[in-house]
Amino acid sequence: MRTSPLRDKLAALGATFTEQNGRELVARFTDRAAEYAAVRDNVGLADFSFVQVFRLPEAKGIDLLDTIVAGNVPRIRFGRVLHTFLADENGMLVADCYVANNDQELIFLCESIVPDADITGLLGPDAENLTSTHVLLNLDGARAYEVVKETFGPDVLGLPYLSVEVYQFEGTPAYLFRAGKTGEFGYQILASVSVAGSLFDKLYALTQKSGGRCVGFDIHQELRLEGRFFNIHAEGKRVRDPLVLGLQWMIDLDKENYRGAAAIKARRAAGLKQKIVGIAADTGLAVGDEVVAICHSDVLNRSLGLAVLPVETAYSGLSYRLSSGTTVQTISMPPIMPKSLKVKLDEV
Amino acid sequence: MTTTQDIIQRRSQIITTFKEELIRRLNLPYTPEDIHEDVSLLGSGLGLDSLDALEIVLCAESCFKLKFPEDGTSILRSINTIVDFVIAEQDKQQGGQQ
Repeated sequence: MRTSPLRDKLAALGATFTEQNGRELVARFTDRAAEYAAVRDNVGLADFSFVQVFRLPEAKGIDLLDTIVAGNVPRIRFGRVLHTFLADENGMLVADCYVANNDQELIFLCESIVPDADITGLLGPDAENLTSTHVLLNLDGARAYEVVKETFGPDVLGLPYLSVEVYQFEGTPAYLFRAGKTGEFGYQILASVSVAGSLFDKLYALTQKSGGRCVGFDIHQELRLEGRFFNIHAEGKRVRDPLVLGLQWMIDLDKENYRGAAAIKARRAAGLKQKIVGIAADTGLAVGDEVVAICHSDVLNRSLGLAVLPVETAYSGLSYRLSSGTTVQTISMPPIMPKSLKVKLDEV
Repeated sequence: MTTTQDIIQRRSQIITTFKEELIRRLNLPYTPEDIHEDVSLLGSGLGLDSLDALEIVLCAESCFKLKFPEDGTSILRSINTIVDFVIAEQDKQQGGQQ
């Protein structure tokens, strides 16, 4: 099983670990409510080193990645990040991906539901695998910008959503991606294992100073749903059809060749029969039948979920009786207003 | 009495009108069926910027003859949240006429 270079530090802080497709990751620390509040109110620091990361030279990388992922790689502007997905030959989801254009290179971040070897094999020898030589740390929260500003300087405040910039940390390059999935400010920092310990210590100290704490992947999954960001590990893994999941925005619909393109085009031409929709209930929801993802919203004090329903009934604002007998309300997503949307970074 | 079918029909009409106009105004490379109503309009999702946000507001205002509040950021989270606002405003207007 692949473990994080930061495992000992995380264990010392009370981390509970779990395993996914041969990768170990932090499920949670000790207090779920505190982890939730850390992100929604302040900042949560998480180790995302379970994500696979590759570096490709621009000349070869553009064509290679463009024949694999659904989005349009040649159109990624310098300094920007494309959010797209990787499918199998049947057009079913395999990974949620970021492709970052950093001058002469592309950085490929891949959050997959298959073993590491499947992705590595797909990319071939032109892709330098940074997964085991680097750590990937996430900062998410309404005050996450404070931590990155203290670490890398005030320039970071000017980074738009879905962008990448390289900074120096103790003399080594650190890639900073502005790319959160919670609705709050989100940053991912990719740095060499040689500085992983000191980078983590610095970020952790600043996170605490901003009222935050370390958080695990469990709470990230809940916050993704509450913010209505796609989660490959929940609805992605259970549904797998990107069209039913409403991920058409990740696809370049004019592109002819990418993995699964023919199958996706055929299903799109045939028309959707099912569609994903947000649901809410005052009692606890459970995954099963139509329900493909669940979370508890502390902000709303309600159970939220995503359900796959026939397109004729997949509308917000209805009472719907699930196969389990539970009656839920279909709701408009995202149901909360993240605090970060009220912060103007150019005025900070 | 309003039935579920009435609610669906009303919502469906507003969604279709708004999506078609949005696609036309922003020259988006999608059909209305391609755009999920919960997809984020700004930042992630459709990836629209602050200029597009203004166009979205103008689009909704002209389609449904209503006025967005000055700080309407929260309404612009998704098409569904915009449709919720449109329905609430229409209900308010109809209530005021009675």
